[in-house]
Parts: sequence; structure tokens; C-alpha cells
Amino acid sequence: MKRALVIPCLACLCGVVLAACGGKPASTSETTPGGGVRRQASGPEPGGEYPRPAKPSRSYTIGVVVPHLSNPHFVGQAYGYIDEAAALGAKVTLFEAGGYQYLDRQISQVEDLVASKVDAIILVAINGPGTSGAVERAVAAGIPVINCNVMTDSPHVVTRVRSDDEVIGRMQADFMGQTLNGKGNVVMLRGAPGTSWAEIRGNVFKKVMAEKYPGVRILGEQYSQSTPSDGLRLMEDFLQTYPDISGAYNGSDTTAIGAAQAILASGKRGTVVTATDFQVDTERFMREGLITATVLQQTVVIGRWGVRAAINHLEKRDVPTVLSTPLLLATKDSLDSIDMRGVRAPEGWKPPAR
Amino acid sequence: MTTPAGVPSSSPRRTLWGQLGMPAVIVLMMVAFGSENPNFWSATNIANVSRQASTLALISIGQTFAILSAGIDLSVGSLLALVSVVCAQEMLRFGVAGGMIAGVLAGGLAGLVNGVLIAKARVPAFIATLGMLVAARGVALTLSGGLPVAGLPRAFLVVGAGYWGPFPIPTVIAAVAFALAHLVLSRTVFGRYVYAMGSNEEAAVLSGINVVKHKILVYVASGLFAGVAGVVLTSRVVSGQPTLGEVQELYSIAAVVIGGSKITGGVGGMGKTLMGVLVLAILSNGLNLIQVSSYVQNIVIGAIIVGAVYIDLARERRR
Repeated sequence: MKRALVIPCLACLCGVVLAACGGKPASTSETTPGGGVRRQASGPEPGGEYPRPAKPSRSYTIGVVVPHLSNPHFVGQAYGYIDEAAALGAKVTLFEAGGYQYLDRQISQVEDLVASKVDAIILVAINGPGTSGAVERAVAAGIPVINCNVMTDSPHVVTRVRSDDEVIGRMQADFMGQTLNGKGNVVMLRGAPGTSWAEIRGNVFKKVMAEKYPGVRILGEQYSQSTPSDGLRLMEDFLQTYPDISGAYNGSDTTAIGAAQAILASGKRGTVVTATDFQVDTERFMREGLITATVLQQTVVIGRWGVRAAINHLEKRDVPTVLSTPLLLATKDSLDSIDMRGVRAPEGWKPPAR
Repeated sequence: MTTPAGVPSSSPRRTLWGQLGMPAVIVLMMVAFGSENPNFWSATNIANVSRQASTLALISIGQTFAILSAGIDLSVGSLLALVSVVCAQEMLRFGVAGGMIAGVLAGGLAGLVNGVLIAKARVPAFIATLGMLVAARGVALTLSGGLPVAGLPRAFLVVGAGYWGPFPIPTVIAAVAFALAHLVLSRTVFGRYVYAMGSNEEAAVLSGINVVKHKILVYVASGLFAGVAGVVLTSRVVSGQPTLGEVQELYSIAAVVIGGSKITGGVGGMGKTLMGVLVLAILSNGLNLIQVSSYVQNIVIGAIIVGAVYIDLARERRR
């Protein structure tokens, strides 16, 4: 069993992480829940790699704008951007807005990057409609915008580098449905309102649940800021409102960390908690059995591919309009067999403070 | 310190520093940023800074009225969100003009509630507007269901992104608002009453000023300016956003005190607030352009808020 999981998993990760070595796409494999690892093929080719281009002759400056850096998800990405840029002789100017509530600050940061005439901007959007004007101004000023991870509504971006949120929603739904044997009561902690990830993952989760697992009822759903304390508060309230919760969906693991604490305090240990991403506390709660499964986004890979797409575009090479990074579903049992180099920044790495 | 509040401003030394101190600091900052990154001086960036400053400028104008009258308006940040959602939703229903008017009126209405609570019900300004800070955000989130209101007409985007000659439209709006507010404060009876209430409310009452009415007007004005700011910001973010404006109320207070107006009221003016807004806007843009991390930026801005007020106090003590 274990061996059967390790091999496809490693094959996939090798393909992703080791740039330019052309990892051969492995066939899609699905195992039963509890067994642990499933991967969904969604690369340039299924499961494929977006290889590192040749080092350009000139040194480009790339502005990177992320919502915040207080989550390893974005620290992993930051590492991806900076490390990949270094490998390609480029320089990264990295800005964080301080949280999903600071849309106006993110827009100012994009404008400031335009004013300082960077060669390209990589945008992780705070929200879809809100950022479209800023993207258009950048493009009008002749600066190409690569959209990574969280999507802007503007159609004028070079490419969108992302893990497929529909697949994330479906992976969580299938895991939840199968683990509950098609019967139970689920609550949804959707995440930050107005973000593409919270919308798409949550909507697909609900759709798959309704279609494939009609025996599972969704009792309630709420948006919140993406923080553990919001997750804790929401889950406590859910547990008060509905005494018979058997599962909790989380758009991100940040709320799941809070939810796990609420569940621990309430003594309902058997609750199936699903999440996305892999913070330090997520790992801890998974090992303690409080978070049941999480979808691993290859955050470092998102960063690397974003920079590669930017360089390819600047060097006048074609860039596909969508670049989907591969996903993994991890459970307690499969954690140790997964190569985390595409998922997390190396331990102890910190974004440069200039 | 024993001289009455009005006297120091007539001393020539005070006047010289008062007139030129802040502009000198701003020029110094600009020279420093410009030498680190020449793009700081580009026309694009100047337009940039002034556009970015416009929202803060508008709410700081309202805040100046409140602080000069010895009050405070903590609700202006949340009002941006409320105005944004109302403006966007009504715009989808009644068109561009209807939405903009609805947005400004929503701000004015919230200001009226603040004013009545403070002046009539005698709830301290800090508490009344703190309540509004929390409640207005709640209304914004409820009206919008927590989601951005998208699909605004193309024509509306001009307000946030367009130009009037070489000047960004938000800049023009903020400049006109500053001029207007300055005239109101320095040339009208209402303006004199604002200072009078701020210097000594009891004396104002005893000299026959209708303090209740004028206090209400102060907060209505603050709400209306927040309304205009909210409409401009909505256009800038191309959507109605219930999460806008977080902690902006604190930056507006910072702008007022960095400029040199007294937090306890009675002393100050719009010119000072303009300087405070420029310091904050140029600082955040300049630090971005020379690539200082946003964590460090917060430290710098915090130090400047306290430092500016300390210098003011130290100068006063020396005299």
C-alpha cells in the first residue's frame, strides 16, 4: 500500500520540482481516501512541467505583489519567485499589502511598480474585480502583467499561473464524500470573501457534494478573513448551532487551524476536516489527527513558473494563457512520503527585508 | 505655555517655521527619494502620488473639522466601505450619477447620525464614531453579502483613472475640496465657530453659539467628505468593496496631527492637514520606489507620527 503511493507521488514531484530535467508525466492515479495520495493532472501537458528557459542575456527587474506574507503559502511563493529569478539573472521587487482587506494598498503598490518602470509585474490579486483597473493601467504603460495564484478579473494578463481551484474543490469534496461514506452533515468555512479561490473551491465543493454525495447535507457556510482566529470563532459558532456536524470544509488551511482548535475544545475529535495548503500548524494538527486531509498546492512551483512565464514573455517567446500547477492530496499517513520542496520554502528561509 | 492659544501664531519665529517647516521637510524627502530612484520625479509618478493621496486627503479634510472642534471621527475608514457598496449597488440600478449621489449621501447620512449622537445625545465623539466604525462596516458587509459589487459602467471609471488636462481627476477633486474647506474654515462664521467650540466649548455656549447645530454640521461635513472619498475609491477599485478603508481613520488622524493641528482641538487648519497628507503619501510611495519592505515602512511611519508631534511640542516648550 505504502509503496504504491510513494512512487506516483515522487514521480509527480520530481517532474515539478527539478526544473528542466523533463520529468516524464506519470499516469493519473487515484487511491481510496485514508490511503492518502491522489494527484490530478493539470500541467501544460497533463502532469507536465513548465521548464526553466535559458538564462536571458540581460537582467530583468520583476515586481511581485502578494496579498500578505504572514502565511507560509505566500512565503513559499516568495521563495519560488526570488530563487527562480536568481537562477535566471533577474531581480525581484517584492511587495505585500498586509492582508486581503487592503485592496487600496495593493493598487498603490502596482502603480508604484509601474512608476519605477519594472520590466514585468507578477500579481497575486487581493480580489478579482478590484484589481482590474490597476492591471489595465500597468498594461497601458507597457508593462506586462503575469497573474499568479489568486486571479484578477482583468483579461489583459499575459498568463494565469495557478493551481486549478476547481480541482481543489473537487478533491476536497470527493475525500469528504468518500470518508463520510456518502452520509453526514458538513459545514463550510469558505475563506476570504471576494477572492477567486474562496469562490471557486467552495462552489465546486458544493456542486460535487450535491451531484455525487446527495446523502451529505451542507448545514451552513460562512466567509471570513483568512485567519486562524476567524476559523476558530466560526467553527465554535457552527458547533453551537449544529450539534451533529460530521465534517468541516475549509477553503484554506488557515481557517482549518482555528477550526481544529474549536473541534479539540468541543471534544468532537472524529470530525472530518479538509483544507488546502500546508502550514506548520496544519502539519501538526494532521499528525494529531485533527485535520484529516489537505490539498497541497505547489506554492514554490507557482512562484517559479510565474517568473519563467515573465521571462519567456519578455524574451518574446509564446506563453500559454493558463499554466496549471499540479496538486496533491495528503493525509496523516501519506505526509512523510511527500517531497515538500515544491510545497514549502526551505526551513528558516525568510523573505528579504531589503 | 502660559500665553493664550491665539498668541503664539503671531510670533514671527513660529510663523516662519509654521509656514516653511513642513514644506521644507517634504522637499527634503522628495530630493532624497529622487536621488535613490530617478523615476520618483517622473510625471507618471507625481500623478501617481497625488492620485493615491486623494482618498486620504478627502477623509482627512473631514477629520480636520472634527478635530478642530475638539472632537474626532473614527468612522471615516468604515464609511469608505459603506459608501463604496451603496454607490456601486445604486449605480447598477440608477446609473452613474445616481450611484455617485447615493454614495455621497450615504456618507452624509452616517455623519448626521454621528452628529446627532454627539451633539444631542451627548455621547462622547470617540464612542459615537467608534460605534459607527463597527456598524458601518457591518452594514457594508450585509448589503453586499461580503462580496465585491462588480460590473460598474465603464463611464464611471473616469472618476478614478481619468485626467483633467495633465491632472488625475481624483487629484483635482481633492484639491477643490481642500480649497473649499479652507475657505469655509477661514472665511465663514461656521469656520470661526468650529475653532471656538474647539478652544473652549463652554465659552462658545456662553457667547451664544448654537453648539448643537454646528457640531452636527461638523460631522455631516466629515461624512460628506468621506462620501466623496468613497466614490473616488470605488472608481479606483472598479467595484463596490465592503472591505475598503480599514485603519484609514487612523491615517487621517495621523495626517491632521503630523500637519501640526492640535489633537485637542482649537488650533490648526486645512493647510496643515494638506502637509500631513503629503508627508504620508510621499513617504509610502517613495519607500515603495526605493524598495523598502512594507514591514519596515510601518515602523518608519509610526516613528514619524510621534516625531512630528514631539517636535511641535518641543518648539512650544522652548518659547
